[in-house]
Order: sequence, then C-alpha cells, then structure tokens
Amino acid sequence: MAISGSAVQIEKKALTNTEYGRRNARKRRVTFLFLVAPALVWFLSFMLWPLLNMFYISTTSWNELNLPKKFIFLDNFIRIFHDPKVAIGLHNTGIYLVAGILGIIPLAFMLGFFLSLRKPGYRILRTLFFSPSMLSVAALAMIFLGVYRPDGMLNSFLNAIGLSALTRIWLGDPSTALGALIAIDIWGGVGFNSVLFFAALASFPEELYEAAMLDGAGYWTILWKIAFPLMIDFIGLITILQFLGILSGAAYMILLTQGGPGTATFTLGYYLYDQAFLSHRLGYSQALGVVIFFVGIVVILLIRRVTARLSN
Amino acid sequence: MNIPDRLGRINRRMKRGFDFFVLGGYIFSILYAAAILIPLYFVIISAFKNNNQIILTPLALPTALNFSKFIEAQANVHLIHAGLISVGITSGAEVLTLLLAFPAAYAVARIQTRLASLVESIFSLGFLIPGLAILMPIYVMTAKAGLLYHPIALVILYPAFSLPLAMILLAGFMRKLPRELEESAVMDGGNVLQIIFYIFVPICLPGILTVLILNFINIWNEYLFALILMDSDNRTIQLALALLRANQRAVDFGLIAAGVLISMIPVYIVFIFFQDRIMSGMLAGAIKE
Repeated sequence: MAISGSAVQIEKKALTNTEYGRRNARKRRVTFLFLVAPALVWFLSFMLWPLLNMFYISTTSWNELNLPKKFIFLDNFIRIFHDPKVAIGLHNTGIYLVAGILGIIPLAFMLGFFLSLRKPGYRILRTLFFSPSMLSVAALAMIFLGVYRPDGMLNSFLNAIGLSALTRIWLGDPSTALGALIAIDIWGGVGFNSVLFFAALASFPEELYEAAMLDGAGYWTILWKIAFPLMIDFIGLITILQFLGILSGAAYMILLTQGGPGTATFTLGYYLYDQAFLSHRLGYSQALGVVIFFVGIVVILLIRRVTARLSN
Repeated sequence: MNIPDRLGRINRRMKRGFDFFVLGGYIFSILYAAAILIPLYFVIISAFKNNNQIILTPLALPTALNFSKFIEAQANVHLIHAGLISVGITSGAEVLTLLLAFPAAYAVARIQTRLASLVESIFSLGFLIPGLAILMPIYVMTAKAGLLYHPIALVILYPAFSLPLAMILLAGFMRKLPRELEESAVMDGGNVLQIIFYIFVPICLPGILTVLILNFINIWNEYLFALILMDSDNRTIQLALALLRANQRAVDFGLIAAGVLISMIPVYIVFIFFQDRIMSGMLAGAIKE
C-alpha cells in the first residue's frame, strides 16, 4: 500500500513537471530575455555597435569630431593600396607577428610540458613564469625603458661581461628598436602561455604517459609523439590569441617609440592610432581598422584549417 | 617483454633520477626564471636609489631605504589621486559587470531555450573584437554622450569588455550545479529574481570571486581606453605612471620605478593570494574563445 502510494506521488510529480514545462515554454523564453537583455544591450552597444561604426566611418572622409563627415565610399581603401606607409606598417607588423609567435609558442609549449611533469619545484616555476602577466602594458613599457635606455640595465650588463661592443641605444637604433619591442612580448608571453599549456596538459590522464614510458619512450618522444598531436587544436587556439594580440597592438609604440626611430617600429596598429588621434584623419584610420580586422579573420580561418588538417 | 621486466625498466628510469630532458628543462626554466626576475628586481631596487646608483651599480641593493622618489612621483603626477580614481573606476565597473553578467549567466546556464546558445555565441564574439578597432568609434560615442574626460565613461565601458569572460566563467560554474536547486524553489512559488538572489548568488560565490579578481586585474591594468577617454584631472594610475616619463626631459628612472612599484602592488597582492584562481580563470577564457 505504501509502495503504490509513493508511486502515485511520483507519477503526479512527473505530470506536474511536464505540464510545467509545456505551459511555460513561452514564459521561459520571456524570463530568459528579461534576464539576458541588460547584458546583451550593454555588449551590443559598446562592442558590436562600435565595430559596425568602424565600418561606417571607414567609408567617410572625416577630419574633426565637430566637422561633418563626407561619404566617399571606398576611396579610403583605394588610398590604402597606394599608401607607402601601409606597406611599411605591413612589413613591420609581419616581422612582429612572425618573430613574436615563433619566439613564444614553441618555447611556451615545451616549458608547459616540462611543468606538467610535476618535477620538484614546478609550482614555484609556474608562479614565476606567470608573474609578468600581472603587469600592465604601461608598467612593462616603463620597466623595459630602464632596461633598454643608453645607460640602462642591458648595456651595463654587456659592459660588465666585456661585451661593450654590443652595447647600443636599443630603442633609438633602427636596427634594434623593433626587436627590442618584440622581446618585451616574448619575455612575458612565453611564461603566460607556458602556464596555459601546463593547465591544458595537466588535464590529460596520467596513464597516457605511463603507457609510453612502459614501452621505454623518453620524455622527448612523449612530448612530440603524444602530447603534441593531442594539443594541436589548443596550440592553434593559443597561436590565434597571440596573433590577434600582436596584430592589434599599439601600446608599446605609443608608450616608447612613436613608431620610430624613422619607421623602424611603425606597425599597422600604430598607424591606426596615429591617424585617429594624432593626425586627425578619422575616416582613414577606420579603413585601416577594417583592414586589420579582416587580416585577423583570414588568419584565424587559416590557422583553424591548418590545425584541423594536422589533427586528422 | 614481460611485465616485471617493463616495471623494472621504469623503476630503473625513476631511480636513476637523471634524465637529459629533465636536466635541460631545469636549465632552461632557471634561465628563463632569471630573465623574468632580474628586470623585476632591477625596477624594485631602483625605486629606492638615486640616479647615479642606478646607472653605476644597477643590480646592487640600495644602501638605504630612500623614499624620496616616491614623494617626488606623488608630487609630479599625483599618484595617490590617480590611484583613487582607478579604485573608483574599478569598483564601479566590477559592480556593474556582476549586475549585468550574473542574471544573464543564470539565464544561459539554467533556462532551457534554443536562444541560449545564440546568446552565448554573441558574447563569445567579444574575444574576436580587437580593442584597437573600436577605440575611435568609442571615443566618438563618448564625446557625443558628453562623457569625455569623465571617469563614468570608463565605468560604463569596462563592463562591456568584461562581460564575455564573466559570462563564460559564471555560466560554466552554474552548469555544474544540480537541477533540483531551482525546482524546489519554483514549487515554493519563488520568482526567478528571488531564485537568483537567494539561491544562486550564495552558491556561486567562488565563481563570483574569480570574476571579480580577473576583472580587477584587467581593469586596473587597462591603458589604451583610459589614455583616450580621460584627461589630466581624471587620470588613472596607469596614465599617471606613463606620464612620469613624459613629464621629464631626461629619463629619471628612479622616479619611474617608484611609479611602477606603486601601480603594481595591488595586483601582485591579489596574485599572491589567488594565483590558482587567476590561472584557471584565464585558461577557461582562452579555451572558450
């Protein structure tokens, strides 16, 4: 008796549940929108709307905030093709991207693998590797100003070990300025990404490595034969994030070199900033923004395709 | 090879305790750790030295704790005032982010509708929009709204940047909670706002803390939008720091180092206490891109 009673109760409950579900499908959607609306409106207003505005402004000639815009359709983009500064910016951005990504990703991956072996001391190393990521771009720029300036840390170090011939004005010399800025990114980026790789590798079951070790494989083999193939998608993802960061970066140029000396550190991102806020060519700056945006999309798709093919 | 043989091999490998890969890993890790620590150490000690000492003995410990550079930095760019502006902006943006993100994350994670995945993918677009691309349009919007050079502009703006990550972290946290949680409340006749406030907020405190910490780091450290939208009366700590260089004819590195030190202390305090939370939060953000 007691048993059938509870069975009835369960049945009743199930019935009310489905009824609740059916009757409230519409109500649920209303509740959903009510809860999501504020965040969605905020996000659309201050992220997507400005992005659409970038496309719109890129089709105008606009020199002062208070002056009217003139619609010129694709003229800005035609100008981009003939602008020698775009070619310079593209060149420097290209070097920055290649050197930055090659300098960061392979090292970060190997260090992340090493950390994931959890050898003694890996926790303190992980903390140290991650610590530069806590610095702001302004702080990073100021720290490396002290490292690179003529009587700064790097030159005194070179003098102290008898390599005075190598000393130079790192940020003032056209042959080293871009490299010096890339080195700041590598300095912090290797550590940050190694910790991300560590965390991703740490999610693998330990038996994965153990089985290989039973077969006598060393760590080097495990790194390239087991960890690397499993991580290809994640490596692609990290590469994309790193790529986007560098592609749309302008902070070190704004803070340290203003694109100089000459055009040594003049990147596309800095050109955008320069046109928008220093040269008052608002329309043109946004046309550069559109170009940067599409370069980003194309490369994301490219990296996705490469990693998809590799992991198959 | 039979099993005892294999185990013997592993044991030998373990016992030997020597492996070129591990040795190389340590050597490289230590070199890299040194490369990280030396510039940081250099900045910290430089803040307490005079400029002659910084140039002549860059890596020597300061002979005395000399706070004159801090006083000078305060006099030059009003670091304390800038710090307070940053605290105000950060707190306002943190509160606003949570007010916006928490109900939305609840909706995405706990209400079954096809709209949920659509909304989620809209927010994840945020990771693909470069700040530099929307910098100028946002400057124009802010000017039109009459909020240029007003800290409120950043309080309004930063939550929009924080929302994608906050949504991912909070929704991820809420998905792991059992279904029964709101069912009993619905039976008792509670409405959705009550469910969120009385049931989900207390349970999600760890997730909220992670969001607060990551937002704090990002907002405290933000430079580009603050540079464009604020003026000298409302400069944030990062702007004040950069100004320590711009205001000088020759680089006074002791002064700059004092500014760097002041600006990074709050973030490093948070880092020391919550580093695991920070790392896992940033990983979740990267994975969900």
